[in-house]
Amino acid sequence: MANASINNRIRRLRFDHGEMTQEELAQRVGCTRQTIIALEQGKYVPSIELAFKIARAFGVTLEDVFQYEE
Amino acid sequence: MSFKTFTIIRIFVIIIMAGLIGWAVTNGNALIPIPVVIAAMVILLLFRRGVKEIVVDERIYSIAEKASLIAFRIFGIAAAVTAATLIALGWDSSSDLYKIGLTLAYAVCGLILIYYIAYIYYNRKYSGKK
Repeated sequence: MANASINNRIRRLRFDHGEMTQEELAQRVGCTRQTIIALEQGKYVPSIELAFKIARAFGVTLEDVFQYEE
Repeated sequence: MSFKTFTIIRIFVIIIMAGLIGWAVTNGNALIPIPVVIAAMVILLLFRRGVKEIVVDERIYSIAEKASLIAFRIFGIAAAVTAATLIALGWDSSSDLYKIGLTLAYAVCGLILIYYIAYIYYNRKYSGKK
C-alpha cells in the first residue's frame, strides 16, 4: 500500500482529443482547472465518480485513463 | 457572473461592512453591527448564486477536510494546555485567570463534543447500517 501509486494519461488523452484545454476538460467533468492540473501532475487522486467522468469525457474506459501500480 | 467579479464585489462589501462596524463601535452603538453583518451575508449569498463558474469541487473539499482536522487538533491541544495553565495559575488568586481558563476549558470540551457528535453521525451515515 505504501509504495502504490495511481498514474494517469489525462495529458496525453487531452492532446489526442484535439488538444483539449484543461479548462475545457474541467467544464466537461464539473471540476476546477486547478484539479485537472493537480491530476496531471499526479498530486491528487480523484474520486471514483470524477475518474468515471474523465474517462467518459474522452470516450474511453477507466483503465485507459488511470493505472494502478504497486 | 465570473468568480473574479464576485471576488471584487465581496471585497467591496467587506470593506463597507468593516467601515460601518468600525463607525458603530466608535460611536458606542452595539446594535448596528448585527444587522450590518446579516445584510452583508445576504448580499454576498445573492451574488454568490449568480456565479456560474465551478469554484468548489471535490479537491477543495478534500483540502478543507484536512485543514479542518489539523486546525481542530492544533487548537484542541493548544487551548487545553492554555486552559490548564490558566486554571493552575489562578487557582489560589482572585484574578480572572481561573475564570478565563475555565471558559477556555469548557470551549474545548464543547468543541470535542461537537466533533464526536459529527463523527458518530457520519460514521453511521457511511457505515451501511440502517
